[in-house]
Parts: sequence; C-alpha cells; structure tokens
Amino acid sequence: MLKLVGVETYYGKVKALHGVSLEVKEGQLVTILGANGAGKTTILKSISGLVEPEQGTIHFEGKRIDRLDPEKIVSMGVGHVPEWRRIFPELTVKENLLMGGFLIEEKDLLHNRMKEAFHHFPILKKRKEQKAGTMSGGEQQMLAISRALMIKPKLLLLDEPSLGLSPLLVQDIFATIKELHKSGVTILLVEQNVNRALSIADYGYVLTTGKIFLSGTYEELLDEEKVREQYLGEGKYVRRSKLWSGS
Amino acid sequence: MEIFIGLIQESISGIALGSIYALIALGFTLIYKATEVVNFAQGELMMVGAYINFYFVTTFLAQSGEPTIGVFFLAFAGSIIFSFVFGWVLDWVINRPLKDEPIFSVIMATISLSIILRALVAIIAGPMSLIPYSPFGNRVLSLNGIIISALDLSIIFSAIVLVTIFYYFFNKTKWGIAMQATSEDPVAAQLMGIPVKRVYGLVWIFSALVATISGILLAPRMSLLDTSMGFLGLKAFPAAVLGGFGSIAGAIVGGIIMGVIETISMGTLSFHFKWIKEMNDIIVWIVLIAVLMVKPDGLFGEEKVKKV
Repeated sequence: MLKLVGVETYYGKVKALHGVSLEVKEGQLVTILGANGAGKTTILKSISGLVEPEQGTIHFEGKRIDRLDPEKIVSMGVGHVPEWRRIFPELTVKENLLMGGFLIEEKDLLHNRMKEAFHHFPILKKRKEQKAGTMSGGEQQMLAISRALMIKPKLLLLDEPSLGLSPLLVQDIFATIKELHKSGVTILLVEQNVNRALSIADYGYVLTTGKIFLSGTYEELLDEEKVREQYLGEGKYVRRSKLWSGS
Repeated sequence: MEIFIGLIQESISGIALGSIYALIALGFTLIYKATEVVNFAQGELMMVGAYINFYFVTTFLAQSGEPTIGVFFLAFAGSIIFSFVFGWVLDWVINRPLKDEPIFSVIMATISLSIILRALVAIIAGPMSLIPYSPFGNRVLSLNGIIISALDLSIIFSAIVLVTIFYYFFNKTKWGIAMQATSEDPVAAQLMGIPVKRVYGLVWIFSALVATISGILLAPRMSLLDTSMGFLGLKAFPAAVLGGFGSIAGAIVGGIIMGVIETISMGTLSFHFKWIKEMNDIIVWIVLIAVLMVKPDGLFGEEKVKKV
C-alpha cells in the first residue's frame, strides 16, 4: 500500500533522512521506533508532503506521491495526526472536526462522519461548542485522531500519540489505536514508547540517525540484542574510567 | 447645551471617520493574522482603490451625462472587480515569490510596494489633486437640531454591512473557518487538505477588497484626492494597537475610538483649548504610545504564549 525507496530528506542543508526504505501492507499496523532526532517525524512528513524528499520515491497504492501538494495526498486517503496533536486551539471542537472533513463536499456525509466521531468519543460531543485549546491533553489527542478520521483515511499516520499524556491516558490511546486497526485502518505509528508500540504492531522498523537500522516482527526485534541495548533501556556496561580517558 | 449638541455631531462624524480607520485596520489585520506579515501598503491599496473609483465615476459620468445613483453604483461594482484582480496580482507578485523568506523580508517588500504604488499612481494620473465626487453632495439630515451629513451616515451604514458580511464569512462558512484554521496552524491546516496557498491568496484579495471600499468611502470626505491619501492608512496602526493587534473585533473598535478622539480633538477641544489645535496631527500617535505603555495587548488582545 505504501512504499518508500531510498528516501533522502533535507532541512535546508541538514540531511535528516539518509535513504530510508520501508513498506506498509494493507491492513498492517507498522511502527517506526527510534531515539529523539532519529528522523521518525521526518519520515511521516515526507509521506504526507509537508517536506519534499530530494532523493528516492514514495508510492501510495501504486501511485507516486512525493512531489505532490499535501492537500492532494490527503485527498488520496492519507490521514496524518501530527506530533503534539496540533488541534486548532481557538476553534471549537465542532469546527476542528469540520476542518478535518474539509475535503468532503456532501453535507450529509460530513454530518454522518461527525456523528460517528461523537459516537466514538462521547466526551467530544459534550465539548463540541468549547474551544479545543481549553481541553485536556487526552481529550485533545482524541480530537486530533477523530479529526484525521473524518475523511476515513485508508492509511493513518500517527506521530507519537502518547506524547505528554499520563500513563492512564496512554493506555486509553493505545486501546483506541488497536481498535482502529481492528476496524480495518492501515496504520503507520511513530512511538518512543517501544514496548507498547511493539506489542500492538505487526511489524517494526528501528531508525538511527536517518537510517533504517533494523526491521522485523515484535518477537524478532525483541530478540535483537541491539534493540534491547539501545531502545529498551537495558544499556551497555561502560567502564566509567573509559568515559574520562577520551577514547 | 450647544457644546453637548456639538459633541454629539462630532461623535457621529468621528464614528464615520473611525469606521474607515476600522476597515483599513481590518484589511491589514486579515493579512497579519493569516501570514504574520504587517502590510505597510494597506493605505496605498486604499488610495489606489479611490483613484480607480474616481476613474470609473468620470468614465461613466461622461457617458450618462448626469450623476445618477446608477453611475456611482456601476463605478462601485467596477472598483470591486478591480480589487479582486489587484489582490490576486499582489499575492502572485509579493506573497508567493517571498513565501520561504523571513517575515521581515516580506514586510520590507510591502514598504517598497507602498512607495511604488504612490509613484505609479502619480505617473498615471498626473500630479494634480482631483476633486472627488460624492453621491450625496452636501446633503445633511437634521434631527432635533443635530446635523448629520448624509455621507457620514452612508459610511457608517456601509461599514456595518461589510463587517457583518465578514463576520458571517469567517465564523459560519467552511472557507472562513479554514482561513482561521490556517492562521492558527498552517501545517495542521495542510494536513486537513486545506489548500493553504489558495487561502493566502484569498486573504490578499479580501484585504484589497476592504481597502478599495474604504478608499471609495473616504475619498468624498476629503476635499482633495491625491496620492498622499495613502499616509492616512498609517493611522489605522494606532487604531489596531489600541484594539489589540491581530484581533478583528479590536481593529473595528480601535478604529472607531481613534476616529472619535481625532474628530473631537479637532472640533470642540481645539475650539476651547488653542494648544490642542496645534497637536491635532500627533494626537493619535500619543494615544498609540500611551496604549503601548499602559496596555500593550490592547482592549481585545489576549496575551499569547507562542509554542516553539
């Protein structure tokens, strides 16, 4: 469904992605793991057209989508929930959802989708006339996801949905993601919460400084000592004196 | 009692003048909200609008022979169409080519634009001042001894209609809300499928539109029309700051208050206190500095912490 081949993306002169190749098959939940600054967010931004890769190709459902404007890519069925949610704080909850459905022309369809969103997250219905910025982090995340779901995307890109949420809310959000996946949405999930992400994912990629470093299923990745070392927090034993010797 | 009647008359006249300031302030608030660019050419856009309208009025007048309502209406319609094209051209000439440059570059470009427009108009229309037409002549209405000019009433009325239309557009229509969304977070707006580039184009068109209308309204209030009309646009800045820079409601209220302060200080106050008369030109700027010192966020501005 989604295929990246040798994608290289720059921010000005800084190279953020050094030839990333990955694939998401229809119905899968794929996760990208990696430390801060590894380029996870850049991969998602490259897919949805917010940044344009210098090299490489991105295909969605067989069509080439790098070089397209973001609005075109959205209209093809790619939803993107950005890092830190980025809801429109001064707009009401209802207006936020309306914007999520900006590309929907038929009024009835738009109305139905909004009803579905309210059905899924009753709290949003309760707050529909409230300014979105006044809601709690968890509620904002639910709004951000509902907003992206308004167009019924075939592929949903989720960028660290658990960021800044309490452990209890993180659990809720992951339950929601699992449910979405079950209902047939293909998902590409970026997370720092490695254990949780891998536990719901079909396949995972590990990214280090702009390169895919490892990939595999949950079990395969858990077996990899390197992942455990670098991302699951078990750490390598380093002699402290060595740190001072400068070698 | 006489002072009282005088004050009322001046207030109404001030509200009319203030409505025009409000419209100019509204014009650059729109651009500022959407793109964070302060458009210093807003006054010149207004001046161009006034000239274009003058040109249309003289053309249609030459054909019909007498100044009927139809002539003014046609000229108005022609100017509106012109402003759409004008705004669209400005988007392509100023906004799009500079979209990846720092905001500061774009602001500098608007200052250049203001000077170029003033020079261009002087070249095309000639250096002579024009005597603007007024559809109402010198007609006045008298109400219990209070005399109000028909022109002022028409200005207030037009401003109310225009602001109502804008309010409706921004808060009730999909494209209006999309404009708000774009100004809050252009990146998130793109992810919704909102064509952000087109929204920015629309903002410039709207801005040219309100500028043109304010030019059409203001011209007959002045005895002479020349390119220095653009400088009046600068007075909308203190108005916007008083209301709270970046707030649409603030632009409107600030504009009206500035208009009233200016008219009263030029009228009753100057009559009673000679020294105020000498200060007329700087009174709005004194208000500006006072507001910046006492309440920098203005009447409607909210203190905002920008997320980095």
